[in-house]
Amino acid sequence: MDCKKAEWLLLQSLDERPGPEEAALLNGHLEGCPSCRRKAEEYRTIARLVRPQTVPEPLPYFRERFLARLRENEKSSPALAWVKWAHGAVALSLAAFLFFGAGILLFQPQEPRELSRTERFVLQDENPLGEAGNILDQKKAEDRNMMLIFASVGDPEVSRRYRP
Amino acid sequence: MDEKELIQRSQSGDGEAFGVLVERYKGKVFSLAYGFSRDRTAADDLAQEVFIKAFYSLPRFKAESGFGTWLYRIAVNHAKDFLRKNRRRQKDVSIQDVGEPALAAPNASPEENRIEEGRRNVVREALARLPEKYRVILTLRDIDGLSYEDISGILKLSPGTVDSRLHRARRKLRETLAGRLGRQGGDDGL
Repeated sequence: MDCKKAEWLLLQSLDERPGPEEAALLNGHLEGCPSCRRKAEEYRTIARLVRPQTVPEPLPYFRERFLARLRENEKSSPALAWVKWAHGAVALSLAAFLFFGAGILLFQPQEPRELSRTERFVLQDENPLGEAGNILDQKKAEDRNMMLIFASVGDPEVSRRYRP
Repeated sequence: MDEKELIQRSQSGDGEAFGVLVERYKGKVFSLAYGFSRDRTAADDLAQEVFIKAFYSLPRFKAESGFGTWLYRIAVNHAKDFLRKNRRRQKDVSIQDVGEPALAAPNASPEENRIEEGRRNVVREALARLPEKYRVILTLRDIDGLSYEDISGILKLSPGTVDSRLHRARRKLRETLAGRLGRQGGDDGL
């Protein structure tokens, strides 16, 4: 038997697990191996020292104290229930907020889009040449020039333009 | 009243029925808590917390394992939390401050008793420094004296794993103490 196997049996022997044959083999090895004999002594010493000599009793009135603690917990349970309810309410409010927020974002009314010049011409019967004709009809060159300047500024509001 | 009925009544919120179970199991749970904390007051507090936790977890108890095993599992998990929380504090504790004073041997001199107590403290200190999984299994087996089968059920490990982990834990503890084991005499020599 080698020392590795002997150590394994030694550890087993701390719990009295090896059978009589293995125990005899171990004892035979220990007799001829001072190193394993020292190891065996160390394991046994540690096993003895690690075990408490006495285990004290629980403090007095263990059950009564437990029941009192339980009642105390039960008393504070309405508060716990309220906290649970509050957590639920917060989660629900958050979900509702997100739901309505998403709804508003998805279904918000579209602002009327500005029509292009062609659309205005077609849909609103606006004659693009009407203004040019009006300018060219001016008899005074000064008026015609001023009207051309204002028209070129590009202000779509015709009422703000120069009129002689 | 048998245990099954007590459990059923406790599951429906009967604190008094659970109180009977507390009375039956308080010694074992306290002993386990003491194995981890080595302090009577801390062990008492731990045991109380274990029963409170068990009472509120009882509706989820499916009787797949025995009630005792289930309760022990809660106790071990709670004790692990306790060890984690107290790891820093334990490292600061002096070897001489650890644990309850042991009973003096009847025929030993005061000096012999002092040396023996010093040795026990050194071993406890070394145990406290082991990785958690080794500390837990050594506590269950060597301090609380639970059977391999019980440990297997509590830690949800196969018997083979319990065996090999226990061996590794004992080897590790011996290695941790090797320097002191080799020393002859003195307060810390084993």
